[in-house]
Amino acid sequence: MNWLVLLLVIAALAGLWVVDRKVRRLNMLAWLAAWFAALYVFFSYGIEPPLPTSIVFMYLGIVVIILTAYLSATSAYLAEARDAVVAFTTEKRYAIPLVIVLVLLPLLVAANVYLNITQEPAAPISGRTIHPPPPAQIQFKGKTINLATAANPYRVLEERDPAAFAEHVENGRRVYFQNCAFCHGDNMEGDGHFAHGFDPIPANFSDPQTIGILQESYIFWRVAKGGPGLPHESTPWSSAMPAWEHFLTEEEIWDVTLFLYAFTGHRPRALHAAEDSALE
Amino acid sequence: MKTITLLAVLLFVAPAAYGQEPDLGTEAQREAGRVLYMEKCAQCHGPEGAGDGVAADVFTPAPRDFTTGIFKFRSTASGELPTDADLKRSIREGMPYTGMPPWPKLSDAQVQNLVYHIKTFNDDFSGSYGVPDPITIPKAPSFSEEAAQRGRAVFEANQCTDCHGNLGRGDGKSAPTLEDQWGYHIRPADLTKRWTYRNGQTREDIYRTFTTGLDGSPMPSYELPEDESWALVDYVWSLSRDEANYGTVIVASPAEGALDVGQGAALFETARPTYFPIVGQVIEPGRAFQPGVNGVEVKAIYNEDEIAFLLRWHDMRAETSGSNSPTMAAPRFGETAPTDTTGAQAAGEAAAANPASPYSDAVAIQIPSQPPAGTEVPYFLFGDEKHAVDLWFADLAKGEAEFFVGHGSENLEPGEETLDFFSNYDEGEWTVVFKRARAKEAGLTFEEEAFMPIAFSIWDGFNEERGNRRGLTAWYYVYMEPMNKPSAALPMAKWAFITLVLELGLVFAIRRRARKEEAVA
Ligand code: HEC
Ligand code: HEC
Ligand code: HEC
Repeated sequence: MNWLVLLLVIAALAGLWVVDRKVRRLNMLAWLAAWFAALYVFFSYGIEPPLPTSIVFMYLGIVVIILTAYLSATSAYLAEARDAVVAFTTEKRYAIPLVIVLVLLPLLVAANVYLNITQEPAAPISGRTIHPPPPAQIQFKGKTINLATAANPYRVLEERDPAAFAEHVENGRRVYFQNCAFCHGDNMEGDGHFAHGFDPIPANFSDPQTIGILQESYIFWRVAKGGPGLPHESTPWSSAMPAWEHFLTEEEIWDVTLFLYAFTGHRPRALHAAEDSALE
Repeated sequence: MKTITLLAVLLFVAPAAYGQEPDLGTEAQREAGRVLYMEKCAQCHGPEGAGDGVAADVFTPAPRDFTTGIFKFRSTASGELPTDADLKRSIREGMPYTGMPPWPKLSDAQVQNLVYHIKTFNDDFSGSYGVPDPITIPKAPSFSEEAAQRGRAVFEANQCTDCHGNLGRGDGKSAPTLEDQWGYHIRPADLTKRWTYRNGQTREDIYRTFTTGLDGSPMPSYELPEDESWALVDYVWSLSRDEANYGTVIVASPAEGALDVGQGAALFETARPTYFPIVGQVIEPGRAFQPGVNGVEVKAIYNEDEIAFLLRWHDMRAETSGSNSPTMAAPRFGETAPTDTTGAQAAGEAAAANPASPYSDAVAIQIPSQPPAGTEVPYFLFGDEKHAVDLWFADLAKGEAEFFVGHGSENLEPGEETLDFFSNYDEGEWTVVFKRARAKEAGLTFEEEAFMPIAFSIWDGFNEERGNRRGLTAWYYVYMEPMNKPSAALPMAKWAFITLVLELGLVFAIRRRARKEEAVA
């Protein structure tokens, strides 16, 4: 939701209302046009992330139906609108504006056709599932790992043996900076100095919506299997995220997972749940 | 009288002298800086500031060694220490296209504390050198074409061309021999790419760069009269583009008649260029942490039967005496091949690599072997088991194209395919043309109005790139602009006319009814 656009739209409608009450009564048609324009602006610019154009058109279709229904609800409204149209097309004093509208509309249509025809066709975009469901289990160097139950074997050290834990985190730091920083960035914001060469862009771990809502076994799966290991139904097929199972050991992957959490300050999801229940 | 003078001296000089004390911060500030430094900076710059962190080996240029007291990015005279403001600017803005990231999110106090901590690594900061004098940069006159032309003479007179090359592409005659203070080969900046400047990208920044020099690198400092300085700034400015404007789609334009690759770039006069970023292959063994090439410009044209691609990129020196191939083994990280001239930095460039490299420059275009289904494309590193790629490869020492089919970088097979080829190196730029028949019996055909995935690889022989050690792009698209683009005039007239008829019909209908109603009334 883009609050600024929403506020502007509401302010514009409120302004019209004041004009209507204090200055000069507005015709029914003017009101309908204002509502249509307001909703058009809101649907096109007021929603984040932006709606696809086809959806915007669908919504606007619904808006037209609603506005027509509103207009035909009472005969007074209908008569008011009708009288305005008839006056505009028949009365002498509107002759010049009428000619202007009659000429302008076809020109607008022609301009639109021109834009449509000369527009560069857009490259196919591959939709993207942000956190696709993981498989139940994976093969890692000949070993089967059950993702639903696998826990980071070094996480327990956090309380049991902080010194040993810190060593694993330090090893994770080395793994991260020798293998991941080019893409995911020195500050884990997905902006490493090679990130501009990839689409989709590398994940931004400082964003609470990435590793903060995932379990460590999920991270293990993504690091081990990378873009090539994404389930077939979930694009991006062309993710540049490497499959690290070929180049890192199991311990290194668990260590770098620890480091991702230590550096960003996020907590993995399983622990969240445990902490939450401990609080209750 | 004397006491009054003494008092005056004390009053006026003492505070000034007091102001000359280097500002080293409080114990608490330095400690806060140290903690932050250990978390965010030590992996590169080393726990003791010696530039030897765990990640130092994978970044070229290497992270700065703060213990030497040599700093590139200063507003002070050559040989002096940087001011606090300089260090803050380096931290805040970072250095594009190196490992040094910008740190916009740290607070001012945090950055100041980091500066206090960095200053503990070298004793000079706490002595009399610790209060360096920044140069004053006079107000910049506005850019003028005339000044830029005068600047060309200044550029030549001061031998900037020796290092930066005649057209500023970083290909000067002494470029291959340059070394930095730490013994690594260093490339003169490609002045045509302003978006890669590390010491700032405004005209004032450029003024400062050559006035103070970049200590530790061969980039000298110049004391020039002010008008010459601004003329030189304007010349450098005029050589360069401010933004990379990376694209994602090459539009292949239709051409009349035969496509003669021998014409080189001239053949593509009418086609629009698209510029792609080249990044290091940092995934499979033999990784390239800093490829020698960071961007490639591509154009494409086609006729009834054939399609041709033009690739152009800047390269410090043409390597054409060795050989190269996508299947050549490259040493793993931490290992060094016997042929490599560099031992210290597996990732880096060869120190003093003046002799010709055993590896030649090379280039490849990659397309899927089969038309892709939907948006599914082969793995971008030379394909995968299920999805093959075609590789149009050229070792630029040989001057002919070779063809490979890839099922992954471990699985590249030479294949049969007729590819026409042209290459030329001039003034620091490679120009390469590939041409192929559009249609293939089995495999990918370049059809009109279709989007074809396409990717590129470039090997810089000077940088000892071969096989998996290379610069590459991910997948992009080439769009085949239709041969006969229908003119927009007819549909425009048609729809405008239909609208007009509808409007008039409506107006007449309303008027008729209104008249009838009037008559009734
Ligand atoms: C060549 C660039 C590249 C390198 C190197 C790289 N990644 Fe990635 N990574 C990506 C891209 C691109 C994505 C986003 C697309 C996707 O989810 O596959 C990603 C996604 C991820 C995700 C999924 C995050 C989420 O929210 O779903 C994790 C976890 C991850 N990377 C961890 C790592 C680790 C750990 C390393 C180093 C061992 C690493 N990456 C190295 C490019 C890279
Ligand atoms: C991923 C590696 C990396 C990290 C992390 C990093 N740097 Fe750097 N830094 C570099 C590299 C590489 C250079 C040299 C760039 C060049 O020579 O053009 C550099 C240069 C610098 C310079 C410029 C020195 C000069 O010569 O003027 C300063 C200052 C600096 N870093 C401070 C920091 C601070 C403070 C941090 C932590 C907040 C930090 N760096 C984190 C890699 C890193
Ligand atoms: C002896 C060789 C040499 C000469 C002569 C030389 N340069 Fe440089 N210049 C370099 C090198 C090497 C670098 C890159 C330094 C680095 O990467 O840290 C550089 C970098 C630069 C940069 C870019 C700095 C940045 O912000 O990244 C500019 C601008 C520049 N030089 C301008 C000039 C001008 C103008 C002249 C002539 C007055 C000149 N140079 C003469 C070697 C030279």
